[in-house]
Parts: sequence; C-alpha cells; structure tokens
Amino acid sequence: MHALRNTRLPEDGAAPAANPAHGGIGRWEVSSFARFGGGDRFDTLERQLAYFGTALWGLAPLLRVAAADPDGGQRRTSFSGPTILAPATFRGYSGAQGRHLYLAALAHVQAHLHHGGRRFPAGSLKPMQIALISLIEDARVEHLAMRGLPGLGHYWQPYHVAEPTASPTAASLMARLARALIAPDHADPDGWIAKARRLFFEAEPEWHDPANSRRIGGLLGNDLGQMRLQFDGLRHVVEPVYRDDNKGLWHFERTGDEAADDDALPLPARLEPDDGKPPQSGSPPDDADKVRLTPIDPEAGIPIARYPEWDHLIGAARLDWTTLVEYQPALGDAGPLALLLHRHHALLERMVGVIQPARISRSTRLRRQPDGEEFDLDAALTATIDQRTGLTPDPRIYTRFERRMRDLSVLLLLDGSRSTNDRSPVSGQRVLDLEIEAAALLARALERSGDLFAIRAFCSNKRDDVRYYRIKDFAEPHGALAEQRLAGLAGEYSTRIGAALRHAGAELALRQSYRKLLLVITDGEPSDIDIADRKYLVEDARHAAHALARDGIDVFCIGLDGEGENYLHRMFGARRVLHVDRIEKLPECAAALYVRLTT
Amino acid sequence: MILSDHYIADEPYYRPVGDEITLFEAAYAMRLPVMLKGPTGCGKTRFIEHMAWKLNKPIVTVACHEDMTASDLVGRFLLDANGTIWHDGPLCLAVRHGAICYLDEIVEARQDTTVVIHPLTDERRILPLEKKGELVRAHAGFHLVISYNPGYQSILKDLKESTKQRFCAIEFGYPEAEVEAEIVAHEAGIGPDAAALLVTIGERSRNLRGHGLAEGASTRMLIHAGQLLKHGIQLEAACRIALILPITDDTDLRGALCAAVAACV
Repeated sequence: MHALRNTRLPEDGAAPAANPAHGGIGRWEVSSFARFGGGDRFDTLERQLAYFGTALWGLAPLLRVAAADPDGGQRRTSFSGPTILAPATFRGYSGAQGRHLYLAALAHVQAHLHHGGRRFPAGSLKPMQIALISLIEDARVEHLAMRGLPGLGHYWQPYHVAEPTASPTAASLMARLARALIAPDHADPDGWIAKARRLFFEAEPEWHDPANSRRIGGLLGNDLGQMRLQFDGLRHVVEPVYRDDNKGLWHFERTGDEAADDDALPLPARLEPDDGKPPQSGSPPDDADKVRLTPIDPEAGIPIARYPEWDHLIGAARLDWTTLVEYQPALGDAGPLALLLHRHHALLERMVGVIQPARISRSTRLRRQPDGEEFDLDAALTATIDQRTGLTPDPRIYTRFERRMRDLSVLLLLDGSRSTNDRSPVSGQRVLDLEIEAAALLARALERSGDLFAIRAFCSNKRDDVRYYRIKDFAEPHGALAEQRLAGLAGEYSTRIGAALRHAGAELALRQSYRKLLLVITDGEPSDIDIADRKYLVEDARHAAHALARDGIDVFCIGLDGEGENYLHRMFGARRVLHVDRIEKLPECAAALYVRLTT
Repeated sequence: MILSDHYIADEPYYRPVGDEITLFEAAYAMRLPVMLKGPTGCGKTRFIEHMAWKLNKPIVTVACHEDMTASDLVGRFLLDANGTIWHDGPLCLAVRHGAICYLDEIVEARQDTTVVIHPLTDERRILPLEKKGELVRAHAGFHLVISYNPGYQSILKDLKESTKQRFCAIEFGYPEAEVEAEIVAHEAGIGPDAAALLVTIGERSRNLRGHGLAEGASTRMLIHAGQLLKHGIQLEAACRIALILPITDDTDLRGALCAAVAACV
C-alpha cells in the first residue's frame, strides 16, 4: 500500500484534467483547491466534508471520527447504516493530498449509501469471496455514481496504481482488478482480470441490482480459489486507500448485535474473516459505557452556596435553608443524540430562523427617519430652512428608537429528577429523552445564532443536598463534550426547584448582558422527600422566580408535562410557561419565547 | 401617452414550464390579483415581463424595501416655487392609466405599507388618496401582481393573512434539469452540453439549501456563469466567480462547493 505514496496525484491535490468528452468548454483544473485550504486532518476538514457530501447527494452525511486502531494498521473509512467513520488522519497524505483523499473517501462511502442495497448475508462465504464481492460492489456503486457525476472519476482514479507483477498474489490481483474495473482503458494482461472485466461490463444494464456483485464476485472467488493463491483474510486491507473497509456491506450472522447495526458505532476498519466468531470490536469507545449521573461517592460533590427558602405558612424566608452542591456531570454516549439531531435538521433550521432575527438589546436612536415618534430637531430645522429658501425639503425629519443589535445571555436549567423517567402520555417517549433532545436542539440553535449560553441541570436529595451539574459553561464552545454530558443525564432524586433557580439566577446576574434569560425545562411538580406539603415548594419557586424578575432576569419555563399547567403557571406566571409535548413543537415554542422576550 | 415608456417592445424570452401562461391569462381576464411565489432568480420577473408583452400592457415595477412608505407607492405632495404640487406614485400611475403594477418582493415592505393595496384587490378596485382627498377608481386595464419569496427563514417576516387572501398564487421553482439547461443555453448562448453541465453544478449547490446555504444557485446565476463561459472564461473560474463566491463567505462551504463542482465535470 505504500506504493500509493508515488501516486500520480498532482502536487496540489487537484483533480486531473477533465475528460475530453466534455470538450469545448475548457479544461477543468482545480488549481483553486489550495486556495480554499482546510488542512489534512479530519477535525479541520469535517465541516467541509459534510458540505461536500450534502452538495453531491443532497443528504447530509453523518460523520464521526473513528477510534484509533490499536495495532496501528493502515486505517480506512468505515460505515454502518448512515454513520460514516473516518480516520483522524490518513498517514502519508498531508496538505492538499490529505484533503483530496478525504473527499475521495467520503464520495466513495456515499456512493455505497446512495446506490447500495441491503447488507449481503455473509453466510458461509469464505473471506476471499467476501473481499471479492465487496470489490465488485465498490466498482458497481462507483460506476453508478459516475453516471450522474462523471468528475468523481478524477477523485478516485489517481489512487489506482496497481501494475502487473511477476509473481501475483491474491492481494495484488485484487488491487489490479479494482483498477481494471474503474479505468476501463487500462490494459492488464491477466486472463482472470480480463474475465472479471467482461463479466462486470456485460452486467452493465443490471448494475442497479446489487445481486450482480454477489454473483460476479462469487464466480471470481471460485476461479481465484482454483489458482491456489494464498489469501490472508486477517491481514487483508482494502485497496486503494480511499475505499472503505466494506464492513457496512455485510451482515455477519451469529453476531447477535445485528438489530443494532443501524445506529451502533461501527467496528474498526479491518475485514474480519467469517470464522463463526463475532467480529472483534477492539477497544470500546471511551464514552460508550453510560455512567450514572450521580457519582456513588458523595464526597465528589462540592457544596458551593446556601440559599434561603420561602415558607408560605409563616410568610417568611428561612435563611440559609438549602445547600447547593455541585457535582461533576457524567459522560454519556452522544452518538444516538447526534443521530437524532441529524434527523431533526429541518427543525434546527427553523429554530435558527426564529431565534436569529430577534433583536434583543438596548434600543438605539435612529436619526433622519421618514417616520417616528419624535422630531429630529436638526433635520426639522434643515427642512424648514429648505422650505423657506424654495428647495425641496427632505421629508425624513423624525427620530425613533429601535433595537438593532443582540445582547443576550441564556441559561438553560434542566430538571434531572427521577420523575423525568416517566413516559409522556402523548408520545410514549421518556420525558428525560425529550428534555435532553430539546436542550440539545436549543443549544445548537443558540450556538448557531451566536448567543452566549450555559446549560445546567439539577436534582435534589433533601434540603442539604441540592445537586447542580454544569453541563456547559458560558465561555465554553458548545461541542461534543457538552453533548456527552447532556446524554449522560439520568433522572434521579427529587425536584427542589427553588434553590436551583436562585443559584442559576445568581450565575446569570454576574453576566454583563442587556437581557438575561433563565430558561427552565421541567416535567413536573416540585417535590422532595423531606416535604409533605405540596404547596410549599411551588410557593418557594414562585418566590424565587419573582425575586429574579425583580433583578431583571427573565425566567421562562418549558413544561414537558401537559398536565402541569396549574402549578407551572403558579410558579412562573401563565405568560412565561410554554408547553412542549413533542419535539416538533419546539420551533413554535422558541418563536413564542422570542416574541414574548422582544415585546 | 404617459406610460409609453412602460410598454415592452421586444418579446422577452420565457420558456413555459407548466400551464402558468394560461393561468395568468385567465386571472388577468378576470382582473384577479396575482401573487408569483418562488425563490430568487427562478424567472418571476421575466415571466411578468413576458406576460406584459404578450398582453400588450404597460408594466410599472416597484422594488419593495423596508423603508418604503405608503406615500412612496401612492404619491405625495412636493413643493415647488408656487406652493405644493401632487405627484402620483407608481401605484397611482398604474391605477389611473390601466397598467400592470408589479410589486417585487412584497414581503420586504412594511405591513402598514402593504395594506394600501387592499381596496384595490377586492371588487371595489379603488385607491383612496387620503392626503389629496381623492378617490381614484381603477382603470379597467389595471392589474395588480406581486412577487413573494417564501423562504422558510422568514417566519417573522410574512405577509398579513388579510393580504395573502386577496390573491391567486402561481408557484415558480427551478425548472426540471432539461428545461433549465435549455433556458441557460438560450440565455447565455452556449451549447446544450455546457448548459447541462452548469445545471448539474447548480443542483449541487441547491442540495446545500438549508445545510449552510440560505438558497442554492439560481437559474439566473447559472446564466451568468454561462455568459462568462461564452466570453471565453474557463469553466473553473466561471463557476467560482458566478456561482460560488457570491453565495457564501464561509471558506469551508466554498471549498466544498469547489470540490463538488470538480465532481460534476
């Protein structure tokens, strides 16, 4: 595979000159590739790759970085269902070459996703047959993709460099076959390759049917078997480098985890022989095991503040009654969450569309306006002078105040209590899942809109242990870590909401923004095991919300429980409670929220 | 004749994609106000110019913007040496003399401005000039047409329900690939292969609509790229300056679009 370092890839990573078939419209030279840069690592290229994939196929690719291969082998891309795993880097490819390789690899995987069929059952196929069928399938989807987008050939062909050798091995023959199928004008003297090529191109009218790959690959596997060529299924690496490991094409029976194969994180990039054992999954990803939100060790929490609590019976606050304890949030698997957000892409776009245009800031005076509440004295004088001297006066003689900028801090406070484990009577979905989904969607929309925001979660275990989790800080960019912490939320303990409100408000009070928004997402009635009076915590929360409003903090509540109207209205005020029972309602809710915030 | 400059002398090229011409003619015959909906650069303005030519009508076009006031549409008193003199606005001109009044991008105008068209769009067909104390009855030939770009990003910027419900609407989109290629080839004067290629490239950028781009490359942009090709510019440079650089400032998007263009050739 190291021969690939000598590929005929141009220095700047540009695709080669255009197919003369399109003559008359000029040579295509992508010399501008270097101009747009982007680096050669997956993390720097990720956005660009996502855009590239979307532009080509109209469907945003779901890209993830693959865990490092423990044996340090040459890595390949991989896919499983819609998830595409790319290596963090391609060793030996730097600068524009690296970028070119990532583009080629992504285009190849997307050709599979677009033109491939269901997974092939591996059944009792030999590793060599699996490799060959995969190879034919690779060529089939590439040819289908090139029908619509002929330029894709320029992305792929430079990597096909296998030449005839004196003593062919199974691996070298396969690499040559791959080249012969993708570059039909490339001459190869081998009889087996000639036969393969004939079979493959004879099937051209039926290329749309993946079963042909299975048939042709099976036939070729028998021939190759009769040549008595060694094939090491364990060490086999798919060539050339831009092709994926073909794991996503196969359905290995007896693995037991096939049910999850659409959403599961795929296996490392190596073709496993079908020896009856389930494919080895290598080291599990770091974040795979879901840890409970609450550390077992109570000392892991740090008490950070004491807050009073309002007792409605005595009509007075009990000083220093509750203790707020901060805990490290657990990390969960953000994979399913990312998949969900991916599906809700249109919702996100609608939310950004709602949030972004809202103007929330101090209003500024606009002078020389055609209409307004007051005269702009200077303009009015000029106009009068013009009038007296017989000139046409400028009619724009008013001033008005308008909000033009945006200056807003948002704190999302999530209810992490046990009751969120209940299922919603409307959708049957777990309330906590809806809450996490809503928070993640809001967070992405806020991030896109450029608002400063933080995410906190709380639950409580009596008055001296109100637990507070920092999911995301104001200064921290919203990214994978914050989403892992979100996904790690587990509904536990009770809902002593007043203390959490007071602390979140104290955090917001320190922000220097024109408007400060505390957005509480909760499912239900506040409760704690040391409180029997149902009204007590409701009244306390109401007291806390009022105090925050006095300090200029807008407190809004998104209620996930359709029946919670009474006490939510009591706590926050009817105008400040919005109900969301399905995630699809979130954009409407965001619109209502921002309208109430700006009027 | 006052509106003689507003007649369209030569036939503007328009390639029908459906029954929009028949529908418009029927709406015109009944003088029903018409709303042309569709993304930018898909041929709304060209269509109305073509119809004005076909029906042999003068057309008064107003590009709406958010600082536009009702008097910009209707008219205002101006000062001259002897006092004040009334000056008809474009809408009033069209109403008096029986032209097609085309209000382009009507959502850009403020809602209090938009309501002045209400009395013109029902069976009353009148335009009250409040400041002048005059009630202008519409000429029999007057026809009101507005255009409207229903982007999903404009949830907060929409027509009032009472305005919407006065219109018939004809929906425009980017035409089918073959038809669009025919249009690009005709307008830019390039060969059918090059035009088809430009349309394939355009579809790549339309795929990014809502995924980074607010709108993909319009037919108008494809025609621009074609005209540059015709002028001898290389395809790569033509796509870059006509299709990629104008629509985004994001370097990742530009890089991706450039790579996607390479995949089409």
